Amino acid sequence: MGIITVLWEKWTEFKRDFYKITVAAMISPLMYLVIFGMGIQTMSHGEPYLHFLIPGIVAMATMTGSFSATAQNMSVQRLYEKALDQVMVSPTPLWQFIVGQIIGGSLRGMYAGAIILLLTSPVRTDLIFNGWSVLVMFLNGMVFATIALVLSFLAKSYSDAPRFTSYIITPMSFLCNTFFSTDQMPNGFRQVIGLLPLSQASSMIREISNGGQPGVFGFAVLLVYLVIFSALSVWFIYKKKNL
Amino acid sequence: MIEIRNLTKQFGDFTAVDHLNLTIRTGEFFGLLGPNGAGKTTTLSMLSTVLLPTEGEILLDGKRLDRKASEQKRKLCVITQEYSMRQDMIMDEVMEYQGRLYFLPKKVIRERTDALLEFAGLTEYRKRTVRHLSGGMKRKLMICRALLVEPEILLLDEPTAGMDAISRRQMWNLLRKLNGRNMTIVLTTHYIEEAQNLCSRVALVNRGKLQKLDTPDHLIGELGNFAVDEVDEDNLSTRYFHDRDDAIAYLSSVGSQASLRATTLEDVFVECAGRRL
Repeated sequence: MGIITVLWEKWTEFKRDFYKITVAAMISPLMYLVIFGMGIQTMSHGEPYLHFLIPGIVAMATMTGSFSATAQNMSVQRLYEKALDQVMVSPTPLWQFIVGQIIGGSLRGMYAGAIILLLTSPVRTDLIFNGWSVLVMFLNGMVFATIALVLSFLAKSYSDAPRFTSYIITPMSFLCNTFFSTDQMPNGFRQVIGLLPLSQASSMIREISNGGQPGVFGFAVLLVYLVIFSALSVWFIYKKKNL
Repeated sequence: MIEIRNLTKQFGDFTAVDHLNLTIRTGEFFGLLGPNGAGKTTTLSMLSTVLLPTEGEILLDGKRLDRKASEQKRKLCVITQEYSMRQDMIMDEVMEYQGRLYFLPKKVIRERTDALLEFAGLTEYRKRTVRHLSGGMKRKLMICRALLVEPEILLLDEPTAGMDAISRRQMWNLLRKLNGRNMTIVLTTHYIEEAQNLCSRVALVNRGKLQKLDTPDHLIGELGNFAVDEVDEDNLSTRYFHDRDDAIAYLSSVGSQASLRATTLEDVFVECAGRRL
């Protein structure tokens, strides 16, 4: 099964670069937690700001972990190493390669999110993380892995990968319900930002962590992104003239 | 059998391959020759489905070859000009990844990997990452990787580029042996001597178009089996003759600055490509 082959390839990469991957996944979220959550002691909606921040940081770490692992891996394979040629010529069905990339990318995102949960576990917050949180993290990771795949197919040079991060991931990190609620945003802008996948993932993880159930709308939004970007990824790998 | 029908590839306004028609028979050792930018690598990239044609099609045993054709793709393997491998994998992982992509059982992958690395003299480096291998070792590893899956058709893009003379000869012997087992081999090369030694038929392409297609002997015979090189000031010019006596008579008439030799495929190549460059 081609999906297992891709996951095996991701696992060898993970084992080899375990320390690098782990440290890279920790640094930025840890900084945000220390500076915004602990350094600047504030309250949000009558509760410590840290209660608001941790679910947002978990969602953000899932996004960046998944996106950067997939975008970097695919861009390097396609444009620098040309290792994608080996896959293209092989009998492995290319849709299985894409599914493997999406699942593998999502697992890397979940690993980054789990590190944040582990790091914040000594802080007494009474926040709840359960199976629903894992599901949202997995779905969020898959969405951003598919976005990374599409952008990797569009990239013309290896330097495009960090550029896409600056254009897409950095603005989403700050605007999408991570550090402050989108409720405070002006009309129009608020609705648009609210429809972005990270806004929904943050909101759902926050709702679960406060003892609630995630809304169907959030899942629907993430699923729409997943379907659209998965279809685009499959289209690119089968139909793009010059890979 | 590979049938290339009306194959065309355009990159914007530039036509890299222009309505190419070829039939490569099962078990044939086929050479694709041409100057830089002739469209050889582009043709091979379309055969490996990395590039999709702008027009035309490729048939493998009568069935259309495209990215969805897993059954057809199982039959072929490619050795690219560039070192197309994961640079951070060790040799064993490169081989296992290839085996898994072709759905080989783990035991088969292990046994064939051991045998191929031993054959290529790479066993002691099997735990070394690709980025820490020399160019020659990378080239050998790519060959081992391709042979792991025992393909029916092997596509080779400049397989001996960067190899020393001994390694090149070893490679030629290996390719002859593989072809002897009825493996179809399609080769592009800059070393014309390589094509003359190995290929049963060659296609000369220039600017994406097929110029000549025949056996090396026929192509040479068509030009004339005897060549007289003349040095005139700083220029070397060559005249070709079908008859040895005619060549000797001409040689006597031009004096000491000339020499007689057998015509090679390189002469055919230069005549064909040089005129149109």
